[in-house]
Amino acid sequence: MAVVLSITPSRFRASGSKLDSQRRYIRKGSSGVDFKFVTGKNMDVSGGGLRYVNPDGNNVDDGVYNGSFSGSAGIGVKV
Amino acid sequence: MSKFEANNSRIRVIETVSGVNQTVFDTVDDMPHIVGTAQVNSQTVDFATMSQTKHFYDVVCWTEQECSHVQEYVCDWEFVCGYEYVCGGYPYECEFVYVCNNEHVCSWQWVWQCENVTVCANRYRWAIDADENSSTVNIANLPTDETGSTIDVDFIVVQATGSRTRHGKDPRFNQALPTTVPTKTFSFQGSVLLESSGRANGDSWMRRIMSVYRSGSKIKMRVQESIAQLNRDAFDVSFPHAADTRSTYTFNFKVFFGKFRQ
Repeated sequence: MAVVLSITPSRFRASGSKLDSQRRYIRKGSSGVDFKFVTGKNMDVSGGGLRYVNPDGNNVDDGVYNGSFSGSAGIGVKV
Repeated sequence: MSKFEANNSRIRVIETVSGVNQTVFDTVDDMPHIVGTAQVNSQTVDFATMSQTKHFYDVVCWTEQECSHVQEYVCDWEFVCGYEYVCGGYPYECEFVYVCNNEHVCSWQWVWQCENVTVCANRYRWAIDADENSSTVNIANLPTDETGSTIDVDFIVVQATGSRTRHGKDPRFNQALPTTVPTKTFSFQGSVLLESSGRANGDSWMRRIMSVYRSGSKIKMRVQESIAQLNRDAFDVSFPHAADTRSTYTFNFKVFFGKFRQ
């Protein structure tokens, strides 16, 4: 039977362990983030080249790209 | 050790690892969650055949010897010998004498006449035409809540299954353009590079990409192709596989709509 609520000195569990202190639940963060959710188009092509906008919002060009696309930074999350 | 706090409108779970408190769960934080999905099937992505054009490159000249067989009136000194009837002397006598003389002899003769001539010709190079193509289509609507209002999602995750149904070739070679689309289901956010090709020095000259993203209340699929002019190395020879450069993909998407806070 699923655990409804279990509280011990070393572990907290609730709702059939959907919430479990031994898991890592990701949550939005503004600093010290572990990775980012990309929220839009993050590549563009022009002049035969490619621009990739990394999750931090920085442009990474291949040396050929000659367009002006600007993507946006993703949403940072902490684990 | 773990700690659970329920305080007014906040629930927080903290796990202590090596003496450091780490937040495992906190209702104050915005936590990503999925608020809806949409299945979008049979989306076709088509990249048209590339065109090529013959361009003037330069003029090259070289020297050739041009000869013709002509009739010419040729005169020459010839040493001609023969008997002559010579009379003279005292007593007067006549006799046959063998005499040789230089004589000027002329006649029509066939001779070769040659001259150096400069010959020039235009040189042409074929090139794949530079081109920029894009198309955007709406493939889904954002989900709605129980009142019918559109949910303002923060992000989407796309799970895609697709295949290339027409394998476009590199115009220079009898081989398909490399594709990055795996044969199995893959997930992405934002954009995906579908095909690319490089010059001999490694510089890119062609890119084909696909993007799936939110725009207003719609989920859009944008397909883009960028082609830089690609010159053929050899002169007066067209690209052998330019007519085979069309690529086509078919995708099924499952779009997951996500929010960080209700």
